[in-house]
Amino acid sequence: MKTSILTLTLSIFLCVAARAELKWEQNVIDLHPALGDKTAVAHFKYQNTGTTPVHFKSVKASCGCTTTQSQKEVVNPGEKGEVVATFNIGDRTGEQMKTVTVQTDDPNPSQATTVLTLKATIAQAMEVKPAFVYWQSGEEPKPKKISVKAAKDFPAKNITVKSNSPNFESKVEPGRTSGEWTIEVMPKDTSHPMGTALVVQSDYPKDAPKSFSVNVQITNPPGAPPLPAVKAVTPAAIPSPSPATH
Amino acid sequence: MKFVAVREALILIALACLPAIGEGVHFRDKISWQSPIPASELVTVDQARAWGDGAIWLDARPDEEFARDHVPEAFSLNEDHWNELLPQFLPNWSPGKKVVVYCSAASCNAARDVAKRLRDEAQLKDVFVLQGGWEEWVKKSK
Repeated sequence: MKTSILTLTLSIFLCVAARAELKWEQNVIDLHPALGDKTAVAHFKYQNTGTTPVHFKSVKASCGCTTTQSQKEVVNPGEKGEVVATFNIGDRTGEQMKTVTVQTDDPNPSQATTVLTLKATIAQAMEVKPAFVYWQSGEEPKPKKISVKAAKDFPAKNITVKSNSPNFESKVEPGRTSGEWTIEVMPKDTSHPMGTALVVQSDYPKDAPKSFSVNVQITNPPGAPPLPAVKAVTPAAIPSPSPATH
Repeated sequence: MKFVAVREALILIALACLPAIGEGVHFRDKISWQSPIPASELVTVDQARAWGDGAIWLDARPDEEFARDHVPEAFSLNEDHWNELLPQFLPNWSPGKKVVVYCSAASCNAARDVAKRLRDEAQLKDVFVLQGGWEEWVKKSK
């Protein structure tokens, strides 16, 4: 009795192990694109280890930011190939996880669908937090703090802050460790709703310094019409000398 | 007799677990480890509509999809052009307003990612992800 149970279990287990046909080298690929890279590309390599051809039915990415290329429609026994997933980084930051679902005509349902995962760690030259500070209309114009932290491989020594609105004053204080700063920003008055963008610019790289914006706003009282949109600004768009440069 | 039955049952349970463990190890990379969105951060189409002017709608889909069609008065805010789009949305926000973010369907993650950035980077409160996304909004609008 015991022998027959064991035999049955082992047979099932062996069937599970032997059913694979399209074998993937890696189902998860970790990518670490360099600062400024526009895309991160993952190559998911496979081989048909079975005895019958495998047809791709679909290769779909989990988001519009990732495009896929499967090279071939049919993979013959013994043949190798790859699915290439290109992730467009855009303005994304931090850990990103995108999946690609591959469907084949494998008769075994659990083998017919494979989920490939592209994990990308998008390095950020400088972390500016919060990216938005506001005061309510009529609120006491107390200063608010924004912390700026340069990445380890981004050796900025200094930052400057510019504003295209004379209503906001700002000053930069160096942090406890190198590559860290605190920006203090304060409106001159909060009686009227208004908004602007502060441009935080690093002194590195010297030929093309990086800039980041922080949105600052005196918000509307509830029910009032919205403020005009703040245009994403670049340092070049701000007249120099700026009243809020430090 | 009783002891034998218990022992047999335990052997059967252990044997039954073997294929499951095998599958778990074999398919460990295919398991989605992304935790579901907490219920408190989700909102249904009906609930969000009931908020009326107290809500701002944000479309986290790519530009082309937003251009094709979107929830009336929604702003586009996707991560492809985050730095450009965020300053266009913020002047329309005021404290107390609820932010409803949506993407294509229940299976997309763009709304969740945009909502997370709004909470973490812009430190906005009351940011919700629309259950079922654009697909559900269209269905409810018929």
